[in-house]
Formats: sequence, C-alpha cells, structure tokens
Amino acid sequence: MRKFFNLKFILIFLIVSFLIIFNVFPMSYLIFRSFFDSNNFSFSFDAFKRIYNYSLNWNALTNTLITAFFSMVFGLIIAFPLAWLIGRTNLYFKKFFRTLFVMTYMVPPYVGAMAWLRLLNPKVGTLNLFLAKIFNLSENPFNIYSLSGLIWVLTTFYYPYAFITISRAMEKMDPSFEEASRISGASPLKTLLNITLPIMLPSIVAAGLLVFISAASCYGIPSIIGAPGHIDTVTTRIIDYVYVGSAEGLTDATTLAVSLMIIANLVLYFSNFVCAKKNYITVSGKSVRPNIIDLGKWRIFFTVLVFIFALIVIVIPFASVIMTSFTKNLGKPLTASNFTWRYWNILFTRKGILETAVNSLISASVAATAGVIISCVMAWLLTRTNNKFKSVPDFLITLGSGTPSIVIALGLIMTMSGKFGINIYNTLFIMIVAYIIKYLLMGMRTITSAMNQIHFSLEEASLISGAGWFQSFKNITLPLIAPSVVAGWFLIFMPSFYELTMSTLLYSTDTKTIGYELFTYQTYHSQQTASAIATGILLLVIIINWILNKLTKGEFSI
Amino acid sequence: MKKFFIFISVVIMIFLCSSAFGAANKPKIMIYTSMYEDIIESMTETLSEKFPDYDIKFFYGGTGTLQAKIAAERDSGKLGCDMLMVADPSYALELKADGLLHAYISSEAKNILSDLEFDPEGYWYPVRNLNMILAYNPEKFNKNDLPKSFKGFAYNSSVKNFISMPNPLTAGTALVAISALKNKYGYEYFNKLAENNVMVESGSVALTKLETGECKIIMILEESILKKREEEDSSLEVIYPEDGVICVPSPIMTINDKWSAHGNSKICEKLTDWFLSEEGQKYIVKGWMHSVRKNPPAIPYDSINTENIVKNSMPVDWQKCLNERSELRKNFDEIVKN
Repeated sequence: MRKFFNLKFILIFLIVSFLIIFNVFPMSYLIFRSFFDSNNFSFSFDAFKRIYNYSLNWNALTNTLITAFFSMVFGLIIAFPLAWLIGRTNLYFKKFFRTLFVMTYMVPPYVGAMAWLRLLNPKVGTLNLFLAKIFNLSENPFNIYSLSGLIWVLTTFYYPYAFITISRAMEKMDPSFEEASRISGASPLKTLLNITLPIMLPSIVAAGLLVFISAASCYGIPSIIGAPGHIDTVTTRIIDYVYVGSAEGLTDATTLAVSLMIIANLVLYFSNFVCAKKNYITVSGKSVRPNIIDLGKWRIFFTVLVFIFALIVIVIPFASVIMTSFTKNLGKPLTASNFTWRYWNILFTRKGILETAVNSLISASVAATAGVIISCVMAWLLTRTNNKFKSVPDFLITLGSGTPSIVIALGLIMTMSGKFGINIYNTLFIMIVAYIIKYLLMGMRTITSAMNQIHFSLEEASLISGAGWFQSFKNITLPLIAPSVVAGWFLIFMPSFYELTMSTLLYSTDTKTIGYELFTYQTYHSQQTASAIATGILLLVIIINWILNKLTKGEFSI
Repeated sequence: MKKFFIFISVVIMIFLCSSAFGAANKPKIMIYTSMYEDIIESMTETLSEKFPDYDIKFFYGGTGTLQAKIAAERDSGKLGCDMLMVADPSYALELKADGLLHAYISSEAKNILSDLEFDPEGYWYPVRNLNMILAYNPEKFNKNDLPKSFKGFAYNSSVKNFISMPNPLTAGTALVAISALKNKYGYEYFNKLAENNVMVESGSVALTKLETGECKIIMILEESILKKREEEDSSLEVIYPEDGVICVPSPIMTINDKWSAHGNSKICEKLTDWFLSEEGQKYIVKGWMHSVRKNPPAIPYDSINTENIVKNSMPVDWQKCLNERSELRKNFDEIVKN
C-alpha cells in the first residue's frame, strides 16, 4: 500500500512539474516583463500606459471582447439544442449529424474564413449576389468585413467545442430526474427547461468558456476577415507587434498578451466559481443509458431544421472551398474551360507542402499520444484515488487550456530559447509542448468522463480474483474506456495538426507546420492551392474516421 | 484497439527516423528568402544539379516575418541562415552596420546595371529587380476609368473602397513603397490612402479580389500579375504608374562565419557569383522578376524593358528608408490601418 501511495505522488509530481516549467513559469515571466522595466527592475505601469494610449489597441481589446462574448453566446444557443436533439431525442439521421458537426472541429477554422470571405463579401460575394437576386434587393444584404461578420465566422467554427462538451455531459447525465419530471406530468419542453438545463449548467458554463477563450485567442479568422474592414483584435495586434521586430515591439506584444491573459483568467475564475457553487451534476455509478425523448409530430420539423442549419454552416462553405480548389479564374464561374487539376497537382508534388505535413503529423501525434497518457493518469487519479493533491494538476491543466494560445506561444519563445537553461526554440519540441498545454483539457475531460461511467466494482472483481493493479487496468478498465481514449487522442491531435496561432510564432526553418503553410498559401501564394490543401485535410479526416469506424466495428467514430 | 496503437506508434517511429536520416552529410547552406515558393522549387532543383556537393535549402517568409525571426535569433548569438535574399535593400544596410555580413568582391559586380547601387565593399549586391506597380482587371473595369498613377490611386475618390495594397509590416517591398511615396507626397499620402479606405492585405488575397471585381485597382508586385498571366491565362493587366514604378533591387547577402548557421561563407561566395551570372539571372527572369544585369538575358513574360523601368522609377533613399523604418511602420499603422 505504501508503494501505491508513492506512485500517485510521483505521477502528480511529474505532471505538475511539467506544467510549472512550461506553463506557469513562462506566464509569470510575461507578467513580470510587462510590469518591470528590464533594465532597473522597477515596477511600473508604463508599458500598459503606452499601449492603451493608442486608440487602435483599445479598439482591438473591445473588438476581442465583443466578438468572443457574442461567439460564446451564439455558440451556446446553437450547441445546446443541437446536443439535446442529437443526444436525447429520436431525431432522424442522428449519427450522421453528430459526425457532421464534430467534423467542423476537425478542419482549420481559418478555412471557414476563406470560404465566408468568398460567399459574403459586400461587393461580389457569391451568396450575397444570389440573395440580392432572389429577394430583389437593391444592395447586397451582408457584409462579412464587419464585427458581426467576424462573430458569424467565429461562431460557426467554434460552436463545435461547445457541442462536444455539452454532448458528453448530456450522455452521462442521470435520466431519473427527467423521468420523475415526466411522470409528474411535465411536458418534454418543461422538463428540458426545468430539469435538463439547470443540471447541465456547469457543463454549459465550461463549454461557453472554451468557446470564449478559443475565439478570443484566434488569429487566422480575424486576420483574414478583419483586415479589409480595419478590424483588429488583440491577437492580430500582438502578431503585428512581434513583426515590427524591435525590442519595444516585443514589450508591447507582451503587455497586450498579459491583458488578454488577465481577462481570460478572470473569465476562468468566474466560471469555476459558478461551477463550484452549483456543482450538482449527477453521475450515476453505473453506465447510463439516457432515455430518448419522442419528438412526435415535431420529428420531421426538427430534422429539417437541423438539416438547414448544417447546409448553411457546413455544406455551403465547404462546397465553396472545394470548388475554389478547381477554379482557374476566380472571377468566373466554374465551367469546363475554367476547371483545372493544377492546384491538386501542386498539393501532391510540392516538397514544401509535404514536408510541413510530415512535421505537423509528427508533432501532433506526439502531442496527442503524450496528452492521452497524461489524461489517462489524471483520469485515474481523479476518479479512483482520494489523494488530496490531485486537484493541483487538474487546476493547472485547466489554467493552461484557459490561457490564450498566443500568450502561451509568446511566453514559450521568451523563456525557452536558452535564457533559463532550456533551449527548445527552433525544434519540434516547443510546438509539442505548446500543443499539449493548450489541448490537454479536451482529452482529459473525455477520458475522465468515460472513467466516471465505469463502476469501480468491475475493477474490484478483477482485483479480488487475484489480478494485479496493472493487469486489472489493462484487462478491465482500458478496454472499456478505449473508445474514449481514441476520441481523446483525436481531440488533441486534430487541432494540433492544423494549429496556426502558436505555430505562427514558434515555427522555424525545419519545423514549419501545415497550418502555417496553408495560411501562407492562402495569403501570399495562391488561394486555390490553399483550398486544395484544406480539402486535402478534410478528406484525410473523413478517411481516418471511416477506417477507425471499421477497425472498431462501429464503436468509435468522430 | 491495441493494434491501432501499435500502428500509430510505428507510423510515428518511421517519420522520426526518416526525418533524422533524411539529410545527408553534405555541407549545408540555408537561405532565407522572400521569393515565391514556386520559384524556390525550380531553383532548388537547378542548384542541386549545379552544386551537387552541397545541401542548399531555402526558407520562405515575408521580409517582415524574416526580420522578426532574425531579431529573435540574434538574441541567441547565431542566425539560422547562411544567406539572405529578402526584398528590402535597406535591411542590408542595417545588417552591414551591425557587422553581420560577409564581404566578397564578386567578379560579376561589373556586369550589374549602372543605375543600380551595390555595396562597394561587397557586403551586398542586388540580385533581382522587383517592381511595385498598379494592376487592374480589364474583364471587369475599363482602364480609362481608373487612375494611372500612385497619386491617383490614393487621391482619386472614384476608386474609394475598391483599392488594396500590401502590408508594410510584413512585406519589405511595401515598406520601400510607402517610404518612396512619403518622400514624394509627404505623410499626406497616408491620409489620402486612409480616406480612400485602402484594404491592407497580402498578395493572393488582393489578386482574388481583383479577379472577382471586389477591387478595381491594387498596388502589387509586377511578378504576381505576370505569373498569373503566364500560368493561368489570366487577363489581369499591369499599369506602370505615370509617377514612376517603385523599383526594389532586392539584395543578396552572405552572413559572416561568426553569425551564420553553418559557417560556409566560401560556398556562399560561389552561390553569389552564380545568382549574379547570366545563368542565375535567367532563373530570376523565369520567376517573373527583372534581371539586374546590363543587357539583361531576357525580360519577364509579358513585361517591358528592364532598363526603361529602372530609369523612370521613383527615387528611393535607402538610408532614409532604414532610418525611418519604425516611424514609417508606426505612422502607417496609426493613420492607414486605424
């Protein structure tokens, strides 16, 4: 028993020290640098004063807050009903829709920006022209180069984060409360509002937080959508300051990053506070089979509604990206004479693209594998032990994911390039570390919730029958949580694979990533090639999903 | 499930191994450049034929991006590159002053066009002529309705909301352009750009907007238009501005052995000679940029005479461009982007 205690301690110690070195320390250094003059170590608000004396930065800050807040609100308004319809009702094509919505999580968000740019630009946006023609409008109805345009694109690409989080919680919710409500005569809608919604509140808050942080720290979308309309966000300003290249520029970038970090941490604190106060999520000991609500006469109506939503948010933009990858002259419709395989040919022959794809594949696989291992350990610590220190790594992991990615990257650059004894700048390791810190939470939550659903009695039975701890884990627990482990692996792998914000700052000659390459093609070389790369990534996801589905006999699909 | 994990780990191992053993033990040269990846690709092939004993690699980035990278690398005492071919000549002045460059008198120096400056001590040479021009789409708009000068581009309100230009924060040629325009028209030019609601964005985004008609006229590098015309039969057309093309004789420089990544400056000297030679310049021209040689081997596809462009170009003061760099960027940021 004593040995057992030590093992827990060592594991906690290892995870905590990893997070302290690569997350807490860089963040603290950023705060230190923004308040203390690097020459005489005196405390001052000068950097903050200088930054915010400049109206562009104020606008950037308010833009960030506005867009992140509304993306969060709209994301939740979309995600909750969707998760409920797909998880708890007898909607048609549930499985198909689920895959479709999670799929959005699997493609780079700035690909969406590319598509919406072409569809809704105020002058010649395809969809704009189409709508104006149909409804006989004198001018185009939408302008994507606006705050609301930015919110629209951010929402359509970050609501899957909320959808995944809420779906998962809904699956493990104890249905007996709902049953009690229904038996007492409440209608399904009333049950939804009075029982399901309040029970789900902590998960909804957590989901909202995830969307808020992701939207606030996103670089690709605001840099593509915001630039033409002169809409800056904190992230684009930070990258601009880094590109100015001077020491002052770096200090300014740091100071902006610290403000973003403070806001994110406040939001994180607030949401944890709400969660802690109302933590009455009830997870029954045994595996839960949530009851399925019959939509009755509304079944077709809701299916059509979800279908229309999918059409607008997923099918149209993706179709636009796919078509772009075959179009020679973007000013003309895609006809036979305007059709070309050229860009697909570039995708498969250009060395640069293949090299970056390999880089991303390596760093994302390593990050996902390491992340899943940490997640398994954490899930075991959180659900199977009573160690009082287990909440420390849990808190640090949440903090890491709650930190805007641009801040993580900036902190890592400044502390991990040899100044403090560790030099991993210019290597893939710095990317891997950044990816783990940023995306670990998604993996951990998935695996922990799966572990929660497996009653300890199964492991006890194995232990009583004489199996060792490791053997029981291997033979009983692991097979049961395996689908979630694979899901967790993908939840870390995919966003790492196409990551842009952090890679923009961390890449170097030999470690350019596919996300950055795609972004460079989109902005510098050729939008058609960029579209071909994006479609390629999408195809890869679909193929992997299909293979996994076959391999696990339908047990797992994205 | 177990099989799946074994499969994944095998895949990872293969990739790790292949990337570790992929590079042979030849002397390495790393060149940071802002040239198009298409051109880099064809050049890499030729270079590996011409210099089979060396492992020559390019790394692409916008000039601003590369400057930020180099600034970070200088902190660590070594750069990641051996040669630089970035767009902005004033950056060469800065690196020379900071003692990062290697001096070499190239035998090809005498063949460089007499209107072009180069460093007399051999710290840098122009290697390709980039031209900042205006462009429009004849399929969507009539040339007669459009301004034909940089002045008109900013001052003519008929194109308000329909113009786009590159970002001087990331693109070196854009920085040179705003430096030249500021010298000619003063900071008023920035105000006029802002009044005309110029969109500040990078090349391929602007080109798409020109194709779709979202922009009427854009400020862009000549090479991007010529490339589209040759490769995609595009009908986009160049307007050589009446107030002068902004010529950017983009330099080639070698980092000295103290700072360079691999310390192979002797090989870099050979590379410099090759890039300036008639053969090297052919690749530049093939990449839709203008040659820097007297009697250029050719002119880029669909372009006009190189010497004429250079003679009638808008003057640029490189030292001033360097001295005012931060100020220009900051003012552009405040006036135009705000």
